[in-house]
Amino acid sequence: MLNALSPTSVVASRAFFPPLLAAGFLLLLVVLASLLYGAGPVSASDAMAALMANGTEEAWFVVTELRLPRTIIALITGLALGLAGALLQSMTRNPLAEPGLLGVSAGSGFAVALAILLGATTATLTTLSAQLGALAGCALVIAATRVQGLGNDPVRLVLAGATMTGLLLALTSMLMLMDQRAADEIRFWITGSVAGKPLSMLWATLPSITLALVLIAIVARPLAAMALGEKAAVGLGHHPGRIRFLITFTVALLVGSATALAGPLIFVGLVVPFIARAFSGPDIRKTLWLCVPVGPAVVLGADVLSRLIAAPAEMPLGVVTALIGAPVLLAIVRAGRMPSL
Amino acid sequence: MPDKRNTLVNTALLGLLVLATIISLATGTVQVSLFDTLRALAGHADPMTDFVINELRLSRVNAGLLSGAALAMAGCLMQTLARNRLATPGIIGIDNAATAFAVASVVGVGLSLAPSAMALAGAAAATAIAFGLAGANGTRGYRFIVAGIGIGAIAGAVTQVMLSRVAIDAANAAYPWTVGSLNARSGQSVLVLGIGLAAGYLVLMSLSRALNTLQFTDAVAIALGTRLKATRIIGLGLSVMLTGLAVSVCGPVGLIALLAPELARALCRPGKVPLTAAALAGASFMLVADLLGRTLFAPLEIPVGIITAIVGSPYLLWILLRPSPRSLT
Amino acid sequence: MTCRTHALKQTLLRSIAALTLSTMGVGASLADSRSVETAYGPVTVNGQPERVVTLYEGALDTTLAVDANPVGAVITRGGSDVADYIKSRAGDIAIVGAPAETNIEAVISVRPDLILAAPRTNEQQYQLLSRIAPVIVSDVPMFQPDSWERETRLFAKALGKEEAAERVIAKVESRIGEVAALVAARIPEAQRDATLVRWMPQGPLVMAEGLFSASILQAVGFRIDDNDLVKEGRPHSEPLSLENLSSMDQSWVFLATLNEDGDKALEAARQSPAFARLDAVEHDRVITVSGQLWTSATGPLAVLAILDDIEAAVTAIQP
Repeated sequence: MLNALSPTSVVASRAFFPPLLAAGFLLLLVVLASLLYGAGPVSASDAMAALMANGTEEAWFVVTELRLPRTIIALITGLALGLAGALLQSMTRNPLAEPGLLGVSAGSGFAVALAILLGATTATLTTLSAQLGALAGCALVIAATRVQGLGNDPVRLVLAGATMTGLLLALTSMLMLMDQRAADEIRFWITGSVAGKPLSMLWATLPSITLALVLIAIVARPLAAMALGEKAAVGLGHHPGRIRFLITFTVALLVGSATALAGPLIFVGLVVPFIARAFSGPDIRKTLWLCVPVGPAVVLGADVLSRLIAAPAEMPLGVVTALIGAPVLLAIVRAGRMPSL
Repeated sequence: MPDKRNTLVNTALLGLLVLATIISLATGTVQVSLFDTLRALAGHADPMTDFVINELRLSRVNAGLLSGAALAMAGCLMQTLARNRLATPGIIGIDNAATAFAVASVVGVGLSLAPSAMALAGAAAATAIAFGLAGANGTRGYRFIVAGIGIGAIAGAVTQVMLSRVAIDAANAAYPWTVGSLNARSGQSVLVLGIGLAAGYLVLMSLSRALNTLQFTDAVAIALGTRLKATRIIGLGLSVMLTGLAVSVCGPVGLIALLAPELARALCRPGKVPLTAAALAGASFMLVADLLGRTLFAPLEIPVGIITAIVGSPYLLWILLRPSPRSLT
Repeated sequence: MTCRTHALKQTLLRSIAALTLSTMGVGASLADSRSVETAYGPVTVNGQPERVVTLYEGALDTTLAVDANPVGAVITRGGSDVADYIKSRAGDIAIVGAPAETNIEAVISVRPDLILAAPRTNEQQYQLLSRIAPVIVSDVPMFQPDSWERETRLFAKALGKEEAAERVIAKVESRIGEVAALVAARIPEAQRDATLVRWMPQGPLVMAEGLFSASILQAVGFRIDDNDLVKEGRPHSEPLSLENLSSMDQSWVFLATLNEDGDKALEAARQSPAFARLDAVEHDRVITVSGQLWTSATGPLAVLAILDDIEAAVTAIQP
């Protein structure tokens, strides 16, 4: 993984499809668990019966109207955050470059809070402001990596992100102090959670996610070339500046959508590519493919946990992902793979 | 002469601090003129003014002074030990861990120690874990910092879990701990902090020569006769103690531990660890930030932690993002 | 209370009196002094207090109900002023902080001669406030059906308005009788089960059956059951998972909100399919009520206002 200069030789020795299939299978299991388990009285066997079309009306309702929507939202959120993390890390060559850690999610959350304070009520407006916030956050991060000396100093970049996050959280607290009436609503949007979110939110984000996926298909190959070094990429006929711009835009679309759907979820963008890279090796294209099943599985798995550990209430999803993700951060640090990707 | 410069700086900072103190004492909902404030301090005021100045405001100013000084000293110390000016207790998660433990105590989870003791335990635990994870590098190097960020994130999440699991009243009682505010300080914690700060300061002054040599490479420090390991352990212990005690008074007020030593270093003679100047600057920062929080949107009060974050973060970003003039690690 | 602090308080009172340059009659009222039992032991109050600061919703309510003169109050939870139901009676009252956070200097600046504090006032706050004026911290256990009545009597004693308090309590009791008769006449016995919730986008908070407004619902004939979702001694549950909404499915749902007007809150709740399929929702038996009144207030005026809400709701139903 350290050896960014010769990805192909490393990859050749790795089997790629078995882990992909395994991750897909795991994802199916998690989806099933998500439909079967909840904080309510509908038990796994009741839910199973409902899925087999011979359960009670109550179980049918809980499975299709409550568990299914949040499952879908969690899947999309996980997909978006996992891909965003992988892209950002590959482009900045920094294994710690994660939208949550770098303050992109906080920027998105702050923009949503501001929009609600100014009276935005519809899902479309909230999504749009979340994406604008994410775009501003991404632009800052990219600007920061361009600063001499900072691009190859992962820790400093993360510290800058942590500072940015702190600043934005303080500003969000200020907004909430200033308008008690909006505070409850803001809290609902900026607490990481997929429960009770309206599906209209999902429709509002789908166009951006689709666009982002198309963009990823376009930039994957040039991005892989850039991993060989910028000169090599230029030699292969790519334009690093243009690619960087496209990736920044894509990451902003993804993170903005995810934040609009589920609030700021820290560490997802760190954990997912970390797991994916462990199987795919340094080839960004393979990493991205693996992120497709792994990201949704991680977020949905965290969501299932959040329902079970605090029943009959639920734990905020953001708390669960932080508890899962921080040890991974520590593991990355322990592994000593920090200086480059 | 160099030492004259430091004395001058310290005197100037002390003057600034006295000024900040008097303005803080003279500002509040009850109108008291500057002259009456001074008279009340001297003990020549009517009972009401005396009560307002000497009991209400003085206790708050006192808490701000001591916690600001303690945070700044802890920050200065940690920066010196890690040879990294970003390695302040707030950034490496010690504040968050102390807060998590204090909140646990307020909402009645786990051990039933006083919030002060729990904050101290939290600070110590976080440092120990970060230290353990950093491995052979000790406090120097990026691992310590990133491990701290991870620990801080876990502690923050645990705090949220606890707050969401308890009744709304208990959560309200614990709220000041989570934002950093001088409004909820308890007299006992302030007293403990005062004692800890005085003791810590004395120890540090006796260690100042050894601390100064820590800024060189290990080989030079050893050649100069410094017992590296002992100095590092004492310094780290004191930094943790000061942070824990300060958090038990004011909650996790961020960035004072970073800004105050920065200012002190910019003013003082290079080559020395400017502990006294940092402490004076930290106390002034805390008072001014609290004053802003109290007056900007009066009668509503903005917790001092929010003010320091909004004022301090842009500066920290500037340090981080400008093209590196010198290496950070 | 020791002699020394007592003497100091007297000096303080006198100096305050001197400052106001008004005739406050501190000397004259010294003859009429009484001792009130509080959570921090007996407190002596002299004469009829004329400048009362209330640091708790129920205390402001009682003070207004017995026609005493409140000069300062805290904002109601989740609001930025005193509660709406009481605002017109409170008039232009000084705000001296929030329920959890009293601005002591603001209390001093309205020069009170009596302070009625919240049940959970801590020792340190109590000591500071006691230096300004006598402080009454209620020792009545919370979340009992008669908590508000006992608290009203306690505060009224401190205010020197015991007769007025008895009149108000009697009035409340006759109103309860009226509304109970209305409920009995219009709602069949089997349909008098109800639940009281605060709606949050994440899910509802179920209010404790011992909560003030829940006990009024019970007094007029509704059956309230929190299904043990609320832990002992707490005002409400945690936000329920939407999957557990069926556990709050009763014939009637009283839906309280702190933030917006009732219709908007109901509209928001209806967005959730789990809410929309509740029996009470399908039968149009959801009554939106003000959270400021129903979940934050206590006191005789609050009882009367809540009874008005119940009466209006019950009158409106189609037979």
